[in-house]
Amino acid sequence: MQDLLYFSQQLVNGLTIGSTYALIAIGYTMVYGIIGMINFAHGEIYMIGAYTALIAITGLATLGIAWLPVILLVALICAVIVSSSMGWAVERVAYRPVRGRHRLIPLISAIGMSIFLQNYVHLAQGSRNIGFPALIDGGFRFGAPESFQLSLSYMQITIFITTLVCMTLLSLFISRSRIGRACRAVSQDLGMANLLGIDTNRIISATFVIGASLAAVAGLLLGMYYGSVDPLFGFIAGLKAFTAAVLGGIGSIPGAMLGGLILGVSESMTSGYLSGEYKDVVSFSLLILILLFKPTGLLGKPEVEKI
Amino acid sequence: MNISAKKLATAVSASVALMAAGHATADIKIGIAGPMTGPVAQYGDMQFSGARMAIEQINANGGVMGEDLVAVEVDDVCDPKQAVTVANRLVNEGVQYVIGHLCSSSTQPASDIYEDEGILMITPASTSPEITERGYELVFRTIGLDSMQGPVAGNYIASQKPERVAVVHDKQQYGEGIATAVRDTLKDAGIEVAMFEGITAGDKDFSSLVTKIKQADVDFVYYGGYHPELGLILRQARQTDVTAKFMGPEGVGNKDINTIAGEAAEGLLVTLPPSFDEKAENQELVKAFKDKGEDPSGPFVLPSYTAVQLVAEGIKQADSTDPFDVAAALRANSFETPIGTVQYDKAGDLKSFEFVVYEWHSDGSKTPAQ
Repeated sequence: MQDLLYFSQQLVNGLTIGSTYALIAIGYTMVYGIIGMINFAHGEIYMIGAYTALIAITGLATLGIAWLPVILLVALICAVIVSSSMGWAVERVAYRPVRGRHRLIPLISAIGMSIFLQNYVHLAQGSRNIGFPALIDGGFRFGAPESFQLSLSYMQITIFITTLVCMTLLSLFISRSRIGRACRAVSQDLGMANLLGIDTNRIISATFVIGASLAAVAGLLLGMYYGSVDPLFGFIAGLKAFTAAVLGGIGSIPGAMLGGLILGVSESMTSGYLSGEYKDVVSFSLLILILLFKPTGLLGKPEVEKI
Repeated sequence: MNISAKKLATAVSASVALMAAGHATADIKIGIAGPMTGPVAQYGDMQFSGARMAIEQINANGGVMGEDLVAVEVDDVCDPKQAVTVANRLVNEGVQYVIGHLCSSSTQPASDIYEDEGILMITPASTSPEITERGYELVFRTIGLDSMQGPVAGNYIASQKPERVAVVHDKQQYGEGIATAVRDTLKDAGIEVAMFEGITAGDKDFSSLVTKIKQADVDFVYYGGYHPELGLILRQARQTDVTAKFMGPEGVGNKDINTIAGEAAEGLLVTLPPSFDEKAENQELVKAFKDKGEDPSGPFVLPSYTAVQLVAEGIKQADSTDPFDVAAALRANSFETPIGTVQYDKAGDLKSFEFVVYEWHSDGSKTPAQ
């Protein structure tokens, strides 16, 4: 029973981390699906979302507002607004001018944007770890108190549910709405979509904005879950999320979710059963193995060469 | 040959200005290398604060051999690669004495450069024993060693008679070094070390580690590393009802751990250098810091002050600014400093330095542990 509880605990931990990777991975996968470009600044958008949420929460606390749903809602809205504007601005400044050139140029532009944003936050907020208040505390406990207890915190449940809800809403949006249909058209063939009268620039901006909003949600959730933010943590998370997106098939939204969960669970299981030191080794070896056998990722569509 | 009068006048005044400026830079440059930015910048603040105060006070008392001390401050972000870059920069600026670095993983590669270039280096905070084990002539410390700090922690834990202990580290030179020292002390004392694991510095998610600690059912966890990671581990451990007592080295003894861990930081045990700021002899100096609005209670403030003082006194004793002469003078004499009587052994380590076990509280204060 002990072993089962321990396994379940590590599974729960893994699914939580995995959901967060999935939320951020969607940003990468959507941008790649539409314009074939990796948005390396996405991790920094996530970090800015977390900082904005923290500022909003601290601001509300000084105003004396203590009701939790209001705090969370306001923080979420602020984070989403700021992150979306950042995402939109990054696209206009760093990617649109170089679209259509040699593939390396937008890539370097993206990396440059990432470094710029990291240092901007560094200058504006300082480089230290800033504590994030734990607004949602407590959780369920399963098992006898004398031996190992499975703990499922409310925060973890919030993260799962939010991720599921976001994924569902996004899938519905893409498959049912007009803009969603336009997104699918643009990702299939940019030139043709233009000819058919779709304003591709608007659609591309919309993609960045959607990705950035999801990153903001992830930023708020993870800031609360982990309890500290610093200017560099977006970079690491972004790298992992990008890996998750590639694992699941870049360009595919369900792939991002699947990739995120697989990566999270593999990290957690390695850490729990082998050693924390090999966590990253196993995760990235898994990526290499999957790419060797399925180069476009688990759910990715193979690139069709039209003659 | 038509040089206008105006051009000639400009040229003459420019060269006079240059000559005047050249004459003024006969000061003694002291490099201060530490983390101004980055996750452990608080410790860098302590280092810079102590060194700047010392330079101010020494200059106010007439300087060294009639010359003023000038600080050349560089930021190494506690990163080995950056440390090498700034070390090279200091070499290029003609600095002959360096107070630095802070993190052992930065001091180690930088000291190679300083020894090669004949620059004296005194570190006020790096405790890794390997730094002084290479037979370098120009490397000194004004802090103790992890080979002393580890046993202090290990013996304290052993005296509490725990059943099982977990030892965790961050895979860096400082953290892994001291964690290994503690583990060896515990093994010698016959205490069972149930876990010896590494985590990656910069990670945020320690849920798997915490679950493993819970599963291992230990009563004590020793963590070797810095406060950003331990703060998160503490927080995540308390959230999952881990009841073990935590202990860490001086790299975690920082008020920031309270903003990260909150209530979970209560009862954390830390080995720190003694509170030099509470000694009666140092009260005037403490007042000088407080008048400037700075806090002298950080563990590295007074060691950093002492390092600058030692450079100044070493130059006076050796009656020369050559770093090798100063190094010889430091080894041959004993000095009265805010951290006590300083005497060096052949390797550049202090002959005596004690570490004290403190209990950390959730308001950032500390009391000596029983």
